[in-house]
Amino acid sequence: MIASVAVVGHQNNPLYLQSFTEADDALKLHHIVHCSLDVIDERVNNPKKSVLTLNESFLGLLYPTESYKVYGYLTNTKVKFLMVTTDLNVKDADVRSFFRRFHAAYVDAVSNPFHVPGKKIASRTFAKRMSGIVKGFSPGTNG
Amino acid sequence: MIGVGKIKQYSNVLDKPLSRGRQEVSLSAFAFLFSELVQYSQTQVDNIAELERRLEDAGYAVGARVLELLCHREKGNRRETRLLGILSFVHSTVWKVLFGKVADSLEKGTEHEDEYMISEKELLVNRFISIPKDMGAFNCGAFVAGIVRGVLDGAGFPAVVTAHFVPMEGQQRPRTTILIKFAEEVLRRESRLGG
Repeated sequence: MIASVAVVGHQNNPLYLQSFTEADDALKLHHIVHCSLDVIDERVNNPKKSVLTLNESFLGLLYPTESYKVYGYLTNTKVKFLMVTTDLNVKDADVRSFFRRFHAAYVDAVSNPFHVPGKKIASRTFAKRMSGIVKGFSPGTNG
Repeated sequence: MIGVGKIKQYSNVLDKPLSRGRQEVSLSAFAFLFSELVQYSQTQVDNIAELERRLEDAGYAVGARVLELLCHREKGNRRETRLLGILSFVHSTVWKVLFGKVADSLEKGTEHEDEYMISEKELLVNRFISIPKDMGAFNCGAFVAGIVRGVLDGAGFPAVVTAHFVPMEGQQRPRTTILIKFAEEVLRRESRLGG
């Protein structure tokens, strides 16, 4: 079950935040997303292995807390996608394909000539597509 | 990609391939739209520098979106962090997507460390445009310069990009050069990364 997704701009400004569970309140999810941003910055600025990993887009599991896991993805323009899930046994491949679809929806939203880069994404189509992608995501299926 | 090929007519619509569809836009449609853009900008400004800036700003928005789109389409994409990497990305991939071919040449400036030049024998956007004499050195390639600036800015390489005409001996029309001058911080980062 995906708890929420978030898009954060390259100056760490929030561009889109949506939660898919009614139980948890939005503030807590905001906090989790915020903490994960620090982890991303750390990963980007200090690569653990050789220089090659500097260029990876999919950042993998960022931050396991007691009931959530947070996955991150970085685009070429330093826009970050974050996904908070409550499932404890998600497969890596599932998450990667989820982010791929997420990226496609994001590119379509940004190509809108009326979208000002740096402001929140206000497109209803994007919100609908995201709900569709999140509904289609479940562990055990591949893509 | 702005279409440079011929249109192939299918006699029967059932014969058309079920591919992703043609990735091309008709050249004439673009030429008309671009000429309208230039004419409209001309009515809004008082001098040439303003006109160039408006075209460049229009290109900047295009560049930012093209970058997002290309990064998503490239299957094995890695984030470009090196100067030469992003320059060759602009020079081949971006040019190929926009104009259907790679740019003619990419050179490093001899006078300054931070200058690079992409040259093109004739920019596609300039093909149907002739500049009147009283406009001096104005180049509608400012639109393309704006696109390049949008791509570089989005990727984290702030730069000042301009378009110039460079007269060539033996050719009637001058060659167009896009001059890219990177900001200080880019050079510092590049030297820190060991460039």
